Amino acid sequence: MNIGEILKNLWNGSGFHLFGGDSGWQSIVMIIVALFFLWLGIKKKFEPLLLVGIAFGMLLTNLPGSGMFHSEWWTVENIDYVDILRHGGLLDILYIGVKTGVYPCLIFMGVGAMTDFGPMLSRPSSLILGAAAQGGIYLVLILAAATGMFTGGEAASISIIAGADGPTAIFLTKTLAPQLLAPIAVAAYSYMALIPLLQPPFMKLLTTKKERMAVMTTSRKVSKKEKIIFPILVTIIVSLLLPSVAPLLGSLMFGNLLKECGVTERLSDTAQNALMNIVTLFLGISVGATAVGSVFLTTKTLLIIVLGLAGFVLATICGLLIGKLLYVISKGKINPLIGSAGVSAVPMAARVSNTVGLQYNKGNYLLMHAMGPNVAGVIGSAVAAGFLLAVFA
Amino acid sequence: MAANLICSILNKEDNLKVVDALLLALIGIVIVFVVLIALMLIVSLVGKIFDGSEKLKSKHPEWGEKISSFKSKLMFWKKKAPEEEARPTEEEERELATGTCGELTLVNCDERDAAMIMAIVADSLDTPLNELRFKSIKRVEK
Repeated sequence: MNIGEILKNLWNGSGFHLFGGDSGWQSIVMIIVALFFLWLGIKKKFEPLLLVGIAFGMLLTNLPGSGMFHSEWWTVENIDYVDILRHGGLLDILYIGVKTGVYPCLIFMGVGAMTDFGPMLSRPSSLILGAAAQGGIYLVLILAAATGMFTGGEAASISIIAGADGPTAIFLTKTLAPQLLAPIAVAAYSYMALIPLLQPPFMKLLTTKKERMAVMTTSRKVSKKEKIIFPILVTIIVSLLLPSVAPLLGSLMFGNLLKECGVTERLSDTAQNALMNIVTLFLGISVGATAVGSVFLTTKTLLIIVLGLAGFVLATICGLLIGKLLYVISKGKINPLIGSAGVSAVPMAARVSNTVGLQYNKGNYLLMHAMGPNVAGVIGSAVAAGFLLAVFA
Repeated sequence: MAANLICSILNKEDNLKVVDALLLALIGIVIVFVVLIALMLIVSLVGKIFDGSEKLKSKHPEWGEKISSFKSKLMFWKKKAPEEEARPTEEEERELATGTCGELTLVNCDERDAAMIMAIVADSLDTPLNELRFKSIKRVEK
C-alpha cells in the first residue's frame, strides 16, 4: 500500500467526501440550520437550555460518516433495542429515552417540582382559561386535515404543537408519528422560545386599552393542605378519565407533591435541578439528532412549521377571547391579558402577560394572576394529548 | 368512551378527513372543558371546605379547642415514640429559637455569603441578628 492509496482511502472515508453523496446537500443545509439555531440559542438566548442541545444534536447527526444516529432503525415496526445497544451510536442510545417516553415524563416531574399551583388554586376560574387555550390544538387538527397530507396520528401530533408544551408534544409524537418527531419537537421548542415575540401583537389587537389596564386583586390564601391534596386529586381523577395520559400527568403531579409535602426536600431539589438538567441535556441532543437532512427536508416539515405557528397564534387568540368573556362576567375583575397565558409555555407566557400589562398600567403586576392559567394550560394540554392518544394510538 | 367510539369510526392508515377532524375537535374540546371544569369545581369545593373550617375556628375558638382535644382523644392508642416524647413542642421550639439563628440550611451557598446575607437582612429590617430566625438560604441560578 503506497502513500497515495492511504491518502485516497482517508479521503474516501472522510465526511468531506461523503458530502458529495446523494443526500450531501441536505446534510449541508441541516448543518447551516443547526448553526443558525446555535446562534439563536447562544446569542439571542432563545430557550438556550434546550435549543443549544437540539442544535448540537442536529449538527452531529448530519455530519456524514459519524454513525452517531441511525434514523432508519427507529421507524421500523418492531424496534430491536438489543441490537441498538450493541451496535448503536451514542445518540441512538440516548434516543431510547425519547422513544420509550421516559424523558418527557422525567421532565414533567421536574416541571412539577418547580411549579406552584397556588395561583391556580386561589382562583379556580384559571382552569377555564387553561382549557380555552387548548382550542388552538383542535383548530390546527382541522387545518392539518384540510391539507389532505397527514394521517390522523400525524395530524394529531402536529396539532399538539399548539399546546406549547414540549414534553407533551414529544410524548404524543413518539407514539403517533415517530417519523415527524424532529420537525415537531423543533417547531414546538422554537415557537415556545418565540412566545415573547408572537403573543403581544395579538394581545394588543384583541383587547381594548381599558381591558389591558384592569387591575386584579389578590386572591385568597391557599393552605398547605390544599396544595398537598391537589396533585393527588388530579392524578386520580384525570388518570381515571384518560388513562393514556397517566404517565405524563402522574409524573407532573408526583414532582409537585415532592415540592409541597414538605418532607421530601432533597428529592424535590433533585427533581428540580440535577435530574431536570440531566434529562434536558439528553432530550435536547437526542431530539436534535432526529433531524437528519434526508428525513427533515420535506414539504411536510415546511407545513408543520406553518401549522405550528398557526397553532400558537390560535391558542393565544382562544385564551384571549375567553379572557375577555371572563372580564365581562367578572365586571372587570379579571384582566383578559392573562388569557393568553393559558398556552402552557411555563412561565414565558405568564411573563408576557405581565410585561404587556405593565406597559399600560405601571403598577399592575399580572405575573401571579397569569401563572394560574399558565399551569392550568399544562394540565389542559396533557388532557388534550390524552384524548388524542386514546383516539389514535 | 367517546374516544373508543371515534376509534371505531376512523381509519388510522388513511389521511384524516376534514369532517372527521371537525368531529374530533368538537369532542376533544368538550372533553378538555369538562375535565378542567370538573377540576375547577373540586378545587373550589376543597377551598371552601378549608376556608369554612378556618372561619369556624376563628368565630368559635372553643369549638377549635374541642375539636383538637377530641382529635387527641381519638389518638389515645397511638403511643408516642420515646424520641417523639423527648422532642420539644412547637412552643418550646419557638422559645429555643429566640435569641439564636436556629437551624439554618444552606443550599449551594457558602457560610461567608450566608453570613453576609443575614447581616444585610438584619440591617435592612433594623432588627438585631439574634432576634431573627433564618430557616434556609438557597442560591438561585439565573
